[in-house]
Amino acid sequence: MQSVAERGTLTAPRPAVRGTGKHGVMAFSSILKKVAMALTGLGMFLFLIGHLAGNLLLLKGPDSFNGYAAFLAKIPLVVPVEIGLLLLALLHIASAVSVTLGNWTARPQRYAVKRTAGSSTFASRTMWIGGLVLAVFIPLHVWMFKYGDHHGPQELYGLVMRSFQNPLIAFGYAFAMIPLGLHLSHGFASAFQTLGINRPRLRPRLRAAGAVLGWLIALGFLVLPFWGFFGQ
Amino acid sequence: MDLTLKVWRQAGPKEKGRLVTYEAKGIPEDASFLEMLDIVNSRLEAQGEEPIAFDHDCREGICGSCGCMINGRPHGPGQGITTCQLYMRKFHHGDTIVIEPFRARAFPVVKDLVVARSAFDKIIQAGGFISVNTGSAPEANTIPVPKPNAEAAMDAAACIGCGACVATCKNASAVLFVSAKISHLALLPQGEPERERRALAMVAAMDAAGFGHCSNEGECEAECPKGISLVNIARLNREHLRATVRK
Ligand code: HEM
Ligand code: FES
Repeated sequence: MQSVAERGTLTAPRPAVRGTGKHGVMAFSSILKKVAMALTGLGMFLFLIGHLAGNLLLLKGPDSFNGYAAFLAKIPLVVPVEIGLLLLALLHIASAVSVTLGNWTARPQRYAVKRTAGSSTFASRTMWIGGLVLAVFIPLHVWMFKYGDHHGPQELYGLVMRSFQNPLIAFGYAFAMIPLGLHLSHGFASAFQTLGINRPRLRPRLRAAGAVLGWLIALGFLVLPFWGFFGQ
Repeated sequence: MDLTLKVWRQAGPKEKGRLVTYEAKGIPEDASFLEMLDIVNSRLEAQGEEPIAFDHDCREGICGSCGCMINGRPHGPGQGITTCQLYMRKFHHGDTIVIEPFRARAFPVVKDLVVARSAFDKIIQAGGFISVNTGSAPEANTIPVPKPNAEAAMDAAACIGCGACVATCKNASAVLFVSAKISHLALLPQGEPERERRALAMVAAMDAAGFGHCSNEGECEAECPKGISLVNIARLNREHLRATVRK
């Protein structure tokens, strides 16, 4: 007869949680990958709130906006924050790619008929598509406004307003805010759940808060290209 | 009632499968879904054809053996029931019903509607138990358990491991199942000593089996015949994080 020690956990080998991941770089457990995604996503979420608040100064005119830009350039916080954001984005994307590839291979044969029970949303089903749009949009956006010509007439304000005179840029920018709203509206509550913050009564509230916050942020950003294009 | 069935037929794990159409005439409304399949099978056998293979055992919603996708939903229309508890009165005369096996890389098809769910057994073997030298059962009140914990553990223990959560999840993720097992044990004092090892080992076994990740959509909770809550998944995530940090 086997002894208890042989059968039970007592002598069982320690689990290889940091074993070899199927998708290369991220050899973490499935849950830790999602935790990384949630933390980095919430970090970027926080940044977006600040970013939007600053950008809305565009509506107040060149003096306020350029003053704000000059203020940011003066304090020694910009470079560390930029490096931090870059790390957040890269970690978010790395875990997103690993997670999404894992999800795609988890069901090789699709169903002929599949219905939802009504709990998923359009936003939740399109997280990777929204993410992909953002992954294209964010570098273009940084390149255009950070490395564009700041020193022309009206400095940064002028650069932004001139860019938004171009219909392709204005409408492209506005269009990208739709996947942003979708991504944030599911991502917010999802991140809390991933981090283990959930109770029966909390869940509907987090979901509602995520939808409201996510769409407020997206709509806030959406105002700017329209203001630039139609407003002047 | 007369029905048209489109049933996934697959002779073996390596064989190619396809949907085959059957006319199921004169099915009584009071038949259960599995009894309907029994009727169809006895007719198939009478014609010398291979009957449709499907899993079942208790036929009263407690064992977790039965389960297939019925018109795109695990265990078919309705909430809080297994396939064996589904009755034909839920359907209408003339309906077409598409019946497929639960699909996931970790649940390979054995035959027709039967899938191997041994990946769940491997997860349980990795830590879904309490190591004790068994003797006679101790007196129930020697270990006090707070009432809310006892109830939450009992709710989680209602999981019958049928696999509907995996079947419906767009990522074929098994976290609802794993979270039910983790919660059931972590909430009780008997489960406490092995809590961390369990939270690491069961997740490692889940990952090794090839299940997907959780996108927090909640489709699993909505389809679970036992109403296992997403709150358990949050607890699994906490348990796993705690164990990782303390490791
Ligand atoms: C840059 C490109 C981006 C990509 C490729 C991307 C991709 C993804 C993907 C695939 C998910 C997983 C959803 C799921 O598991 O179903 C996700 C989740 C999330 N994303 Fe992004 N995303 C990007 C940018 C952003 C940005 C800019 C933010 C915030 C401002 C953000 C916030 C979130 C949040 C909060 C989650 C939820 C994490 C969780 O499910 O626990 N993402 N992202
Ligand atoms: S046969 Fe046991 S649950 Fe359906």
